[in-house]
Amino acid sequence: MAHKEQLIKPLFAKGPSLGIRMLVFAVLSAVLMVVDARFDALKPVRSMMGMVLTPLYELAEMPVRAWEGATQQISSRSELMAENEKLKAEALLLQRRLQKLATLTEQNVRLRELLNSAALVDEEVLVSELIGVDPNPYTHRILIDKGEKDCVDESKKNCVFLGQPVLDARGLMGQVVEVMPYTSRVLLLTDNTHSIPVQVNRNGLRAIAVGTGNPESLELRHVADTADIKEGDLLVSSGMGQRFPAGYPVATVKEVIHDSGQPFAIVRATPTAALNRSRYLLLVFSDRRSPEQRATDSAQAQEAADREAEQERTQGEQAPESSVAPAADTPAQEAN
Amino acid sequence: MVGVRSRNGWVIWLTLAFALLLSVAPMLEFMQVGRPLCVALILTYWVLALPHRVGLTTAWVLGLAQDVLLGTLLGQNALILTLITFLVLSLHQRLRMFPMWQQSMVLMVVFGLAQLVQLWLNALTGSRPPTLAFVLPALVSALLWPWICVILRGLHLRLNVN
Repeated sequence: MAHKEQLIKPLFAKGPSLGIRMLVFAVLSAVLMVVDARFDALKPVRSMMGMVLTPLYELAEMPVRAWEGATQQISSRSELMAENEKLKAEALLLQRRLQKLATLTEQNVRLRELLNSAALVDEEVLVSELIGVDPNPYTHRILIDKGEKDCVDESKKNCVFLGQPVLDARGLMGQVVEVMPYTSRVLLLTDNTHSIPVQVNRNGLRAIAVGTGNPESLELRHVADTADIKEGDLLVSSGMGQRFPAGYPVATVKEVIHDSGQPFAIVRATPTAALNRSRYLLLVFSDRRSPEQRATDSAQAQEAADREAEQERTQGEQAPESSVAPAADTPAQEAN
Repeated sequence: MVGVRSRNGWVIWLTLAFALLLSVAPMLEFMQVGRPLCVALILTYWVLALPHRVGLTTAWVLGLAQDVLLGTLLGQNALILTLITFLVLSLHQRLRMFPMWQQSMVLMVVFGLAQLVQLWLNALTGSRPPTLAFVLPALVSALLWPWICVILRGLHLRLNVN
């Protein structure tokens, strides 16, 4: 009997009433939400808690991994050989394109020099692996296995950062929206809160591609009915928002609907990246300087180059055996 | 609490951690829409069974953990889970007397309410599901309730958790 009393007692222990406690927690939650949405104060707390909790994702993925591992173990030799052949053929094709790319890049740099614009920096990338998908089917977010502590260089300057663009082998996938120490969250292009500035590769027509919540479809907003855009056009990132580097493929136009009842044409496009299939992603480290900084840097570089040229010229004039007259210098440069 | 020492309290935390794990477990694409509210279900069982051990505070902490795990605003799932716990605690006396199917019905309403608040909060942060499908998890959870209840009760009695 005494035992039973002991069990029942706590039920009637008086504290603050249930309603009041609920109210306190509700207010606390609301305050937390507002602070989390508007200020950065809670970011460290989040990232610390994230570090503790994200292993759960890996744990949850374990059965899937084990299954994949097992199927790989027993996949037949002929299958592997076929895959090997395919990969070799693919590598060959890519190598061919790379050969062409080298000359094109060089040409591009030379043309840019002629135009006095900032040099095209080759972007560095960090390979990361998908470790989890957001369980909410209405948001398109994924978790990857690289975070703040993962850097592309030894000096720890270029580490994963907020807003970093993410690619897969075929095109842009999205951007980093939350960085934790060893993992980060990526918002995909097709999430309905995401938009990306793009341009038509064929003619440079600019537009904004907005996610629709469907992993296979993007929509172009405010495209004039008379705009030159048609089915099959490749859309590349335009670099306008200064978040995504310019020139990466984003989507191909699937359909263009001209409806006279609508103020704008309805343009739907399919993302080129395999948004819900890719397992390995690339984090791109592009130039993070502000446009002003970039302009000053390139101006300084130009000045230095001018000074060097000036020096060379004066040296050339001083040298007695120099056969090039100053007057002939200009056309020679133009010919370059 | 007063004079009662907890026995095997780790079982509660273990099952709750398992619930968190289930809430992010990969699922097939078409099943995603109806993903059961595992955390809410398991929490509800413990709240009903041991209201002096598992209450609003546990629910709130668990909700914060879920927020971090899912990348939602800190406090969003915490609010939802405390709301569910609050409703279950206030219906506690009646719910314990109900037969299983009736418990399921009541819980469906409770989870549906929670999903409604969830939808509203999601709409505030910008991502809004376009259809009525957001109540599907409440239905699936209610259907799963008897099974969860039986499994957890087995665990509860076997290990004599208190």
